[in-house]
Amino acid sequence: MAGTVQAPGPVTGPGAPGSEAAADPGPPARLTIPKLLRGLRRAAGVVPFGVYVALFLIAPLVAVAIGAFQGNDGGFTLSNVNAATHGVYLKGFWQSIILSVITSVIPGILGLMVAYAIVKAEGGNLLRQIAITAAGVFANFGGVPLAFIFIATIGSSGLVSQWLTTLGFDPYTHGFTLYSLLGVVIVYLYFQIPLMVLVILPALEGLRPAWREAAENLGARTWDYWRYVGGPVLLPSFLGCVLLLFGSALSAYATTEALTNGTIPLTAIQIGSFLNGNVIAGQENTGKALGLGMVVIIAVAMVIYVAMQRRAAKWLR
Amino acid sequence: MAAVTQAAPERIAPPRRPRVVFKGATVWRWVVLIVAAVYFLLPLWAALRFAGIGAFGSVISQPGFTSSLALSVRLAILTTLITIALMLPTTVYVHLRLPKLRRLLEGITILPIVIPPVVLIVGVLAIAPGFLKGTSWLLALAYVVLAMPFTYRALDAGLRALDLKTIVEASNSLGAGWLSTLWRVLLPNLRTALLSATVLCVALVLGEFTMASLDLYQTFPVWIYVNSQTSGQVSVAASLLALFVTWIFLLGITVLGTRQSRKTGGGEVTLFTVARTETRGN
Amino acid sequence: MTTNTARDGASTAATTGQAEPGRGTSVRLQDLTRAFGTTRALDGLSIEMAPGELVALLGPSGCGKTTALRIVAGFETADTGSVLVDGKDISSVPAARRDMGMVFQSYSLFPNMSALDNVGFGLRMRKIGAGERRKRAGDLLDMVGLAPQASQYPHQLSGGQQQRVALARALAIRPRVLLLDEPLSALDAKVRLQLREQIRTLQQQLGTTTLFVTHDQEEALSMADRVGVMSNGRLEQIAAPDELYTDPATAFVAEFVGVMNRIPGELRGDGQVAALGSTIPVRGHRPEDTAVDVLVRPEGLRLEVVENGNGIVTTRTFLGSVTRVHVRLSGDIAVQVDKPSAESAALAPGASVAVSLPAQPVLVAARRVS
Repeated sequence: MAGTVQAPGPVTGPGAPGSEAAADPGPPARLTIPKLLRGLRRAAGVVPFGVYVALFLIAPLVAVAIGAFQGNDGGFTLSNVNAATHGVYLKGFWQSIILSVITSVIPGILGLMVAYAIVKAEGGNLLRQIAITAAGVFANFGGVPLAFIFIATIGSSGLVSQWLTTLGFDPYTHGFTLYSLLGVVIVYLYFQIPLMVLVILPALEGLRPAWREAAENLGARTWDYWRYVGGPVLLPSFLGCVLLLFGSALSAYATTEALTNGTIPLTAIQIGSFLNGNVIAGQENTGKALGLGMVVIIAVAMVIYVAMQRRAAKWLR
Repeated sequence: MAAVTQAAPERIAPPRRPRVVFKGATVWRWVVLIVAAVYFLLPLWAALRFAGIGAFGSVISQPGFTSSLALSVRLAILTTLITIALMLPTTVYVHLRLPKLRRLLEGITILPIVIPPVVLIVGVLAIAPGFLKGTSWLLALAYVVLAMPFTYRALDAGLRALDLKTIVEASNSLGAGWLSTLWRVLLPNLRTALLSATVLCVALVLGEFTMASLDLYQTFPVWIYVNSQTSGQVSVAASLLALFVTWIFLLGITVLGTRQSRKTGGGEVTLFTVARTETRGN
Repeated sequence: MTTNTARDGASTAATTGQAEPGRGTSVRLQDLTRAFGTTRALDGLSIEMAPGELVALLGPSGCGKTTALRIVAGFETADTGSVLVDGKDISSVPAARRDMGMVFQSYSLFPNMSALDNVGFGLRMRKIGAGERRKRAGDLLDMVGLAPQASQYPHQLSGGQQQRVALARALAIRPRVLLLDEPLSALDAKVRLQLREQIRTLQQQLGTTTLFVTHDQEEALSMADRVGVMSNGRLEQIAAPDELYTDPATAFVAEFVGVMNRIPGELRGDGQVAALGSTIPVRGHRPEDTAVDVLVRPEGLRLEVVENGNGIVTTRTFLGSVTRVHVRLSGDIAVQVDKPSAESAALAPGASVAVSLPAQPVLVAARRVS
């Protein structure tokens, strides 16, 4: 990693048997003590960071991973994993995945549209600054306050619900409720769209006007430009952003908790309830198994992302 | 001089073309922005109506308001300091001495984004030594991990805009030691990046709920939640207040930062550069 | 004058109807005006371009040359005036259908496509099949000397190579008009020189009518058939390069193209000016004030080594066939004199010299207060 460590090369030189008249690559690089020490000294600068990451990121993850396979007696067991992949917990995983996919793809597209509108709108710098700070605030705005604000808006006695009722259409009598998966999706858009806007904005601004003009000059219409230039250039960033949104949606805890009070099984909330002690005794480590499951899901998502990126690069040639 | 002076040509000038070309695309764009504005602002308005102006006054007088707010602020400051103290030297060092590690560093700093805070807090609580467990220090240290991605990116962007190697070499050749270089040369040039990083840290901590509640600490967001059981209106008012204050704070920092960086010839302050910007070679 | 013959050529092309693609396309900018808010970027620009001609628009930044080019390309619309190609008004034709090839200042290659695909893009837009596209794009890359780089991506190419690909891309569609927006400005000097020649050669080979915008006078003078010097949205003069140099129509052109000395003088009522002890006729525009500066080229001044002359040599620079001498005249006036090196042996710093104006009519400009 740090420093240069090379495997010992073949011995070449004038006297060596079998050496050709080809160019001599020079004295072979060998792993020597001085080199190793020098490498270590160079790495010294990142040691504090490394220690920190090891302590507060790696170690907790490892603890979760290990705990997932620990029985109450401390011995190895698969019962936690078993419990985590059946029944209500399995349902929790499914719901979480579906919810996260929906609330990463839809806000992804919507966020792209909003970001594009911001980039192209002629309000100049001021509009952009306002939009960016607003996006920054809303992206971080989640959890309980957000849930409450939406309850006040489209909850059963929310403002918009009342407006619609006076117009003759009460959504709640037609089966709509904020305290459902659909409601959660609507609320998630509130912080997912701004997150998408923030992350895709630099990529959009990286689309040089010269590309658009050159394409036009060569006869491309709007669709052609996006199909051949804009889209392909933007795609990697877009996919990355969607992945980010996926992770964000999967991790979201407080919002749903506040909205549904646990009526909708979602993995994040289920894990939380383990910490809160609302569990059947003797199953504490199941929470860790759930946690491990979440990490696995995200790891899989990242693998899919990398695969899609590579594939997409080929498609759009 | 030749008599080329002629009377102004008496041609009929061709019709002036209309300056504003009403393209479909422009209309579409504004529709998108307006719909977005409605979606984001309407709930705020509804919340305001619901809470009623009176609720805002009583927010401050609620039990636990000041203590939870104070805790959140304390945590925010602590987290920010630790994060910057950790990330700044590391990032500078990697940029300067170990450029090959940059990708690895980027990869590591992506992890906290995709690891659910729920899982993280479970793990942290599992391994925390007893003496830390009862204190808010543990929470702060865990927050640093959450703040890492954004802080790193802000600092990385700031460093990439500088020609770090050249500046440091120039500083050294003029006789400045490492500490001097860091303090007098690098920090002033990284002011914008540091500002972004600070703001992101603070915004993150002030809004963080999951880890705090599961670690059983009553930070401001947790207080809002707990309080909601008793009075919905006050909770909503507190939420709006938190949102508004955060927004003013961010806006102020952005404006101040932009003014500052414009003085030194920089561009505007972008707080959130999470995506990789393509290097514009020149 | 050159413009007259060009105009005749243009009208013949217009009457013969369809011009051959890339050959014999005349372009006419007619009374173009464009204002951005209160600034007039273009103030009545009219230019006639003959088929196959390379016209350079030269001027400082902000003079309107790029705006003019973009109006021809279709990326901007003029407030008034029109652009005619082969006699037809194309002002309302969208940029994508104007059949013009444009080379931008820098980094306009599509980053997600190889050089070959970039060059073939315009052909793809014209629904030309993949095989034919590849062949034609390959031929063009060959023409600009980049055949081996066909499968490389823009970020793998140097600035000069990128611009050559951009040129090939613009020419691939066999455009009626070629537009170049300061294509060499972002390149380093050596590459710039090479590319200059290559562009000119290609353009002449293909006979494409070309409009070339630049702020570098050397570029304009060495490449163009005619150069139009612009300032503040107006065309100061459009003429062949040598005419621009020897016969500048206005003081602006005189100073912009090549080096000009400014020597204070007094205008006399009889159309003459008194400066450096002699009286000479004035040509061109006469300013209001009688206090003027006489404009003379370095090689136009007469210089002799004498005792008690009107000036002292301050510096002497040997430039090969020419020696450049800076002289401080009485009255604290600094002038630059270029003389053939063969005659410059005695011109050492400190030498006393006499500088005088030749008897030919000179341009004058309002005196610049420094």
